[in-house]
Amino acid sequence: MANRALNPGMIDKRSVRRQKLDRMRRYRFIYVLMIPVLVYFLVFSYYPMALGIFNSFREIQLLGNARFVGLENYRTIFSSPVYSQAFVNTLIVGVGTFILQFFWGLLLALFLNELRHKLSRSFYQTVSYIPNLLSWSVVGSIWITLLAPNGLINGILDWIIGDGYRPIVFMSERSLARGIMIFTGAWKGAGYYAALFLAAVVSINPTLYEAASIDGASRMQQIVNITVPSLMPTIKIITMLGVMGMLRNFDQIFVMQNSSILDQVRNLLYLIYTEGIVQFKIGPASAAACIVLLATMIISFTVRKLIGYDQGD
Amino acid sequence: MKKLLSALLVLMFMLSAVAMTATAETEGGTVRMLVNVTGGKDEEENVLWAQALGEATGLTIELEKPASDYGNVLMQKLSAGESYDLIYIDASQYANLVEQGALTDITDYIENSEILFNNVPESEWEDLRVDGRIYAGFNKRELHILVNLNKVMLEEAGIDYTQIEPTLDGYYEVFKALREANPSEDFYPFNTILSENWDLQPWMASQGLKGGVVVDEADGQTYVPYATDAAAPVWDWLKKLYDENLLDPASFVDKTTDMRNKLGAASQQTAVTVDWAAWVGLQNANAASGGVSTEEYEIVALPGCQTPDGSYMLHKGNASLFAIPINASNVEGAIKVLEYFATQEGGELLSLGIEGHDYTVDEDGNYTLTEIGASHAMDHGAPVPIYKDFVNPIGMNLGVEEALTYLDYASIETIIPNESDYKSIVGKWGISIVRGEVETLEGLASMREELVSMGICDK
Repeated sequence: MANRALNPGMIDKRSVRRQKLDRMRRYRFIYVLMIPVLVYFLVFSYYPMALGIFNSFREIQLLGNARFVGLENYRTIFSSPVYSQAFVNTLIVGVGTFILQFFWGLLLALFLNELRHKLSRSFYQTVSYIPNLLSWSVVGSIWITLLAPNGLINGILDWIIGDGYRPIVFMSERSLARGIMIFTGAWKGAGYYAALFLAAVVSINPTLYEAASIDGASRMQQIVNITVPSLMPTIKIITMLGVMGMLRNFDQIFVMQNSSILDQVRNLLYLIYTEGIVQFKIGPASAAACIVLLATMIISFTVRKLIGYDQGD
Repeated sequence: MKKLLSALLVLMFMLSAVAMTATAETEGGTVRMLVNVTGGKDEEENVLWAQALGEATGLTIELEKPASDYGNVLMQKLSAGESYDLIYIDASQYANLVEQGALTDITDYIENSEILFNNVPESEWEDLRVDGRIYAGFNKRELHILVNLNKVMLEEAGIDYTQIEPTLDGYYEVFKALREANPSEDFYPFNTILSENWDLQPWMASQGLKGGVVVDEADGQTYVPYATDAAAPVWDWLKKLYDENLLDPASFVDKTTDMRNKLGAASQQTAVTVDWAAWVGLQNANAASGGVSTEEYEIVALPGCQTPDGSYMLHKGNASLFAIPINASNVEGAIKVLEYFATQEGGELLSLGIEGHDYTVDEDGNYTLTEIGASHAMDHGAPVPIYKDFVNPIGMNLGVEEALTYLDYASIETIIPNESDYKSIVGKWGISIVRGEVETLEGLASMREELVSMGICDK
């Protein structure tokens, strides 16, 4: 029997593989439990995503054959001024909403943390969180009503300015359109961010504040030097969540747009809807969806690197 | 042996019974329908409605009515290859689906069907032709959009609506008189949904301009009449109404529902709108059901401005249709349903509803709506069915008969696939002009430019 000399590297690899197999055998029940989740994602996420990418290279007819058209759908999109405008709108409204919502949520959390009366703290927290529970149909209708010519905002302005005041039709003011979308979007989501921030704030070690207080730090100094730095892990998570969802805003625009402001607020998802669903142009709509996917990945990756998401605290 | 024979006999009886049942079920076959507005008002009534249609046509009807988001559901079902024999579509979807080659050409069926050819006005079929071929039948007869006026408010302002001068100036005077009679800040004499380009036809008629996309006979190119310089006087007129607080500024953002609510008896925040002929009756019926008498509230209809040649020009609704997808399995059955919809009986099912449920007929042939039927307002998909000689056995709501006298002035707009783009572009620039953000001619030039760039028209 030939006595083969075994390479130590091979032994290591084999033992690692064996350990892995042992672990898998040991935790097989957990792996079995994962199957439904994997199947769910395969069927409802990855298969439609792969189909969408495939369709973006085809000219599709609703009933009948589809034809491979290469990059034609992408050329259509990149040469279309409507898509370019929609991409710009998506970024402006998406980034604007995220930034405003972020700082609004943070300030709200700091404010709530300062409230010492438990009941009023619960009250303000609930009130600020409620908009997040409502659908855009409700929130959009509320704001459209508030901003209507005979709505509350015009009523207040009328009361302030008095005679000769002419109601402003806010929802048809092109110069205000994106601002309104950003503000209402942030208004709806600020409570959610505040809840996340608050959960992190209350877990900060109170002895840090006590020590700072003994050293003579004011409340504001404590917030700036203790609270905010302690929130960094949460800030990173919220930033990543916000960035990943930044380009996915459809409901708000669908509910709140009108002809006067459409080209100021129409975003890529809304355009994909009108092209793909209303006008049955599935090929270009799929290509636009792929671009949204790619843009989200690029932005997320870039932001992840910029904020050092993977580098811990 | 005897037992064996008996068993065989029983088996034969059973087999023949099964065969007979099968024959009964498949005599006319099954027709699968995907519908939007047509059918019952709830799940339970949908079943009754499908049964009634099945009994009348000798078919087995499978009715599918999505609760909401019909366009989305339709697209998903079709793209998934699901087979339906009839699908409900609107005119814009018709244009898109014909362009996609997704619909069955039924021209020959129509021309060979005495019912379809004789019971439906030929002009209706003509409106559906794409390169001479027809790809759908009708769900209902479309009515027209015309000026709806609050008669009582007009009388309070000293105006007899039958004497209104049918010109832009004539209506301007009406609005001024209404404003003087109603100085309230919440009241505006006129409301129209400019954001949806709804509906300027009664006013554009003053310049002889037709809505939508039109072919210039001189050079064969398409154009949008509302975007031409000839439309400037109407846009200027609307601007004047806005400047003088006669046009509700919410017209820039309101939806048709808001406009209807403002004209309704409960709010009366406006006195004049432009709306469907059927809404004249619905507003009056709603007021009556709320205990409001005609002395307090009544809506009447007028055809708007006269054209330069002394006629009128109104917009007739683009058809709501039933089409047969190319993967349908029972085209003959689907045609049979379309034929039934074009009869008096079919019209009654589409309007009044189901006999014994929505209405009853006594021994003398008198129809009476049940409580359920009254709440369904004689609409089960077609308030006015497509059958050209249809007679509503119950009668029409107050004001509709008068409104229908103007139907002959109405015609449809050319069906275009990107209708929503057309509306939003005309709406956007129109609003800019009315608000005074751009000069009228400059705004119209920009409107034209954008319409051409979006491929809606040639010039």
